Amino acid sequence: MTVYHNNSSRSDGEEQGGPGEQRSSPAHPPFGKKQLPSIPKNAVPITKAASPASSTESANGTHASYGPFYLEYSLLAEFTLVIKQRLPGIYVQPSYRSTLMWFGVIFIRHGLYQDGVFKFTVYIPDNFPDGDCPRVIFDTPVFHPLVDSVSGELDVRRAFIKKKKKKKKKKKKSLTLPPWNLNLKGYDKDFQLFKSKVVDSVKLCNSHLFDQPKIDDPFAISFSPWNPAVHEEAKDKMFAYKRLHKDYNKGPLVSGLSWVKPGSTQPFSKEDIPLQT
Amino acid sequence: MTSMVVNGKRGGQSLVLKGVDPETCMIVFKNHWAQVVKILEKHDPLRSNVGGLGGGHGLGGGGGLASFRFGAIPGDEASAVQNYVEHMLFLLMEEECGQNGAMGPILEFVVMENVLERLFIWSLRREFTDDMKLEQLKMYEMLIGQAKQPLLHHKPVLKPLMMLLSSCSGSPSGPSSSAVETELVLLLNQLCCVLAKDPSVLELFFHTSEDQGAANFLIFSLLIPFIHREGSVGQQARDALLLIMALSAENQVVAKHIAENTYFCPVLATGLSGLYSSLPTKLDVPSEEWHCLHREDWQQLPALVQFLNSLEFCNAVIQVAHPSIRDQLVGYIHNGFLVPVLAPALHKLTLEEVMTTTAYLDLFIRSVSEPALLHTLLSFILLHRHDNVHILDTLVSRINTPFQLGTVSLALFRTLIGLHCEDVMLQLVFKYLIPCNHMMLSQRRVLRERDCYSVSAAKLLALTPSCCSPEVIPPPLRQLDSILWSKGTDGSHIGTMESKEVLSEEDDCGNSCVIGSEIYLDVSYLDYLCDAQNSISHCIRACCVWSAPYDGENPPPEEYQRSTLEEADLTATPGLLELEWDDSYDACPTQPHPEEDQETRPIPDEPPKHIQELRRTAVMIVKGSYIEESEFQNDVMVYDLVAQKDAHDSGNGYHAPSKPTEPAKQEVLDGPVTDQKTANSESLMSNGLSSPLDEMDSKKRGSQSEHKSLEGEDLMAQYEELIRTLGAQHSSPAKADGELKSPTVLMDDEEDEIDFNSFSPETPETEKLPSPFGTKPRSGSRGHAVPFTGPFLSVLLSRLENMPSNSLHVNLLLTGILAQLAAYPQPLLRSFLLNTNMVFQPSVRSLYQVLASVKNQIEQWSANNKDFPELLTAAQHSLLARESSLRADRIKKNPTIQPKTVVPLNETEVYATVLFTEFLKELAAFAQEHSILSYPPTEQ
Repeated sequence: MTVYHNNSSRSDGEEQGGPGEQRSSPAHPPFGKKQLPSIPKNAVPITKAASPASSTESANGTHASYGPFYLEYSLLAEFTLVIKQRLPGIYVQPSYRSTLMWFGVIFIRHGLYQDGVFKFTVYIPDNFPDGDCPRVIFDTPVFHPLVDSVSGELDVRRAFIKKKKKKKKKKKKSLTLPPWNLNLKGYDKDFQLFKSKVVDSVKLCNSHLFDQPKIDDPFAISFSPWNPAVHEEAKDKMFAYKRLHKDYNKGPLVSGLSWVKPGSTQPFSKEDIPLQT
Repeated sequence: MTSMVVNGKRGGQSLVLKGVDPETCMIVFKNHWAQVVKILEKHDPLRSNVGGLGGGHGLGGGGGLASFRFGAIPGDEASAVQNYVEHMLFLLMEEECGQNGAMGPILEFVVMENVLERLFIWSLRREFTDDMKLEQLKMYEMLIGQAKQPLLHHKPVLKPLMMLLSSCSGSPSGPSSSAVETELVLLLNQLCCVLAKDPSVLELFFHTSEDQGAANFLIFSLLIPFIHREGSVGQQARDALLLIMALSAENQVVAKHIAENTYFCPVLATGLSGLYSSLPTKLDVPSEEWHCLHREDWQQLPALVQFLNSLEFCNAVIQVAHPSIRDQLVGYIHNGFLVPVLAPALHKLTLEEVMTTTAYLDLFIRSVSEPALLHTLLSFILLHRHDNVHILDTLVSRINTPFQLGTVSLALFRTLIGLHCEDVMLQLVFKYLIPCNHMMLSQRRVLRERDCYSVSAAKLLALTPSCCSPEVIPPPLRQLDSILWSKGTDGSHIGTMESKEVLSEEDDCGNSCVIGSEIYLDVSYLDYLCDAQNSISHCIRACCVWSAPYDGENPPPEEYQRSTLEEADLTATPGLLELEWDDSYDACPTQPHPEEDQETRPIPDEPPKHIQELRRTAVMIVKGSYIEESEFQNDVMVYDLVAQKDAHDSGNGYHAPSKPTEPAKQEVLDGPVTDQKTANSESLMSNGLSSPLDEMDSKKRGSQSEHKSLEGEDLMAQYEELIRTLGAQHSSPAKADGELKSPTVLMDDEEDEIDFNSFSPETPETEKLPSPFGTKPRSGSRGHAVPFTGPFLSVLLSRLENMPSNSLHVNLLLTGILAQLAAYPQPLLRSFLLNTNMVFQPSVRSLYQVLASVKNQIEQWSANNKDFPELLTAAQHSLLARESSLRADRIKKNPTIQPKTVVPLNETEVYATVLFTEFLKELAAFAQEHSILSYPPTEQ
């Protein structure tokens, strides 16, 4: 998968990014293209339900056979939720080989880390959703109080103390926490030094933007410099997406019928019979 | 003869003519014509020379024809003319257009000399017999079909043609021979093709008609009588009419003419009624498994084929015609066919007739595709009332009929649900769910949640009976396969680039290395997932046109509740008294709701408790009986019990409700329906009053005696006997016998059915017109006080609960319909069916509860039957064989290998167990797919 990054025309409002082409893999049902506006809408809270593992232990047999399906679908559901929440500037994509590993990239739009583009990988424990919290590891260790300077691992634990499920959202929040609120040894007094280190780190990360992906996977996120021959078409497609989507709904596949007037609960309440011929 | 022209020359001479120069052709043509003219003039009474017969001679009417007959024309002269004409026509046909689309010289000559008109008059002068008509018709058919230049633009061609056509329309000599009709329709069809290609000709047709004083648009009027004709003539006529219909969409004048000046729409619609009346009123049902009319079935019935042809034609007309014609036709179909013909047919007196009509209705709905026509059919079902009961309510109540009417009704609902029609689903399901009364208040909040962690799926799968657990079942039935469940990248290559060493180490030490291991999985489950994904996405797409998401907020629960109540109050609800076969009736007559019962159900004497109990059991066993409690008089009951006993005696045991033996069936069938009719009329009159029961009794007795051969005097004795037998059964439900389950099972229904009873009086009437006036509160209106998910869902679940005793095909239908419902993305329905964590009102039975009950029945049964595992394996094999033979059928008729041991189909428990296990997988797959698909579909 290729994700291109248009440096020149990036704005806070609209971010371009996302899969240019969707490959289908046997294990993955096709996902929609991610088209993320800047403001998250309809973030649906999920109540924590008992996990299937615990609720069905009594039913011997069934769980063993279907357990992997539960895991797979829990992950897919999680992923759909990420799509639906439309977190601004964050894009994730499960790897081709496993739904337990997701590739991601975050575009920072304001604040200290503005203009930073950080790639990361999410590793989800195989006993999801009951296990430990997922690990988020930045390809290049960003200089950040919550990021391990050697491994690049983000400290996500604090976000998972109570609500494990909201990991995606929390992850983002923890990244944008104002650093001066944290007890950082050395830097709490010298904020300027901290700032300059951040700027350097952002530069360093961005200089590695076009590096090959760390992990060889067809769905790994890779950036390349703007190349009209490659990217123009994908960009056009992306902008045409909304229209396509509309047409798609009106296509011949639509087989449903309705004569209910919006707002009414009476059958055949539409005065004008719409003839869907 | 011209026929020779037609037959003989098409192939042969065109080759000969090639290369012959146009001038030669012209000379030949003129020579021939000169010969013809000689003969023509010889017999012309007026002796006029050229073109002497103008338009004004009143040729159109049949009356004027005789005046041209002038002595007999010798046969040799007639045949000479024919020979010349043949050649001339051929030359004309073969002539190419002149330069710049001008007429070719021969055509010009034809026009100048008025050749065709003179030939027509010549044929009139001779006896204008069918043969002559045929000859002329064929001539034009050939000319129009094969001429290389447009002919109809020229009045001298068009006019005699119109004269010919009018002479065919009002033929005074009675109906024309079939040969003439065939040829006429063929010619008309051809003309319509020309019209369709070149609408400018249309004007000419209208004008020429006016000239002749004949009916406007003669071509069209001539076709109407053939609309419903069978065979190829009818088909050609309908094709031709369709071409004109398509023209009407573009041409206001044509549309107006058809709608206002012709009988097209009424003929078409009332013709349906005529054709319907010739359909068999009872079908020869091939097997007990049969539940709907497939192509193989209806192709055997010529009357039905003809009806479907006409229906298909209506569908096509509605598709292409101008809206004014469409609306008119749809109106006539409703008022001229559905209401006066189909509605009474759905309420005939015998089960077979009603079943047949239901199967027809199902077939009709499946045969039409145009939204406007579906609108008509569906609004008839949903809104029309027959004897003050909505057709839909009657149909729903029949689901619970034992016998084939029940399965045929199920099949009809399968069709209806498959339409993805909001109006249908609203009336059937959603209007009962919108108020959200069926769930605890706290649950409304979580209504829209999806099964994100596969909890519901796991709970559903955990209901798998222990005898069917994946470990127990041997291959190949258990299609286990190893799937490489990798939990990271393969680890073979960690990125090729050199980068931060730390990171690649990190990768190596556990995040992306091969954790993947081989896990054995139920591979068939993948197919269920795939199917579920397809049907859910299809359903989501189809429901895009719906007006509301039905998510517990839109439509708002509170609003709907209020309006429903008002509406319910508005009309004097006849309640369920008219409903046949309603589950709510036989379900629980001994749970009277105090006020309601005094109002509507006068009970003469309170029988002893054990009798009440017994009655309930009996009624529940004999589900076929339609009995309102107050009507539940001894004779009816005895009658049913006797039928039931017969069934028992003949060895069917406890399966009797779903598959009684033939004689018992016959008797029961005719009996209760009639009773019910009587009861209906009685209860209509006596609704809310305490009725003279004795009179009713005697009436019912009378009606029964007409239909049954049972001796009335024995009834009481048999009743007593039955009470003993059944009572004994009921009191010892622990017997390790196939029969033991029914009381237990049915008692489980009890709580479910209580609310049926109390709610139903309000439910069928919720779609009344809104009241312009205030409404007075209705006493005992507990419609929404008692949670209820509607008769349809309740009946489905109650039949599902009987899964172990249902026959295989009933269970296939039931699970199929539930799977259809489970594909709907609307949170109200999805949460009701698939969310196993939802907490519903105690009186509401959820799918999960019903499934759990079925599981328990199966577990009990399998525990008590030591040969169950073998039977189960054999049943699985025969179901597999059935499936592969069905698949083979679809591809080509190729018999597949039959399994060695065939479990008899009456081992319903065995088949039900297999089916149940598969159904759980299906439902779990739906739950899982919903969790990731319940968003508007994104790009494929």
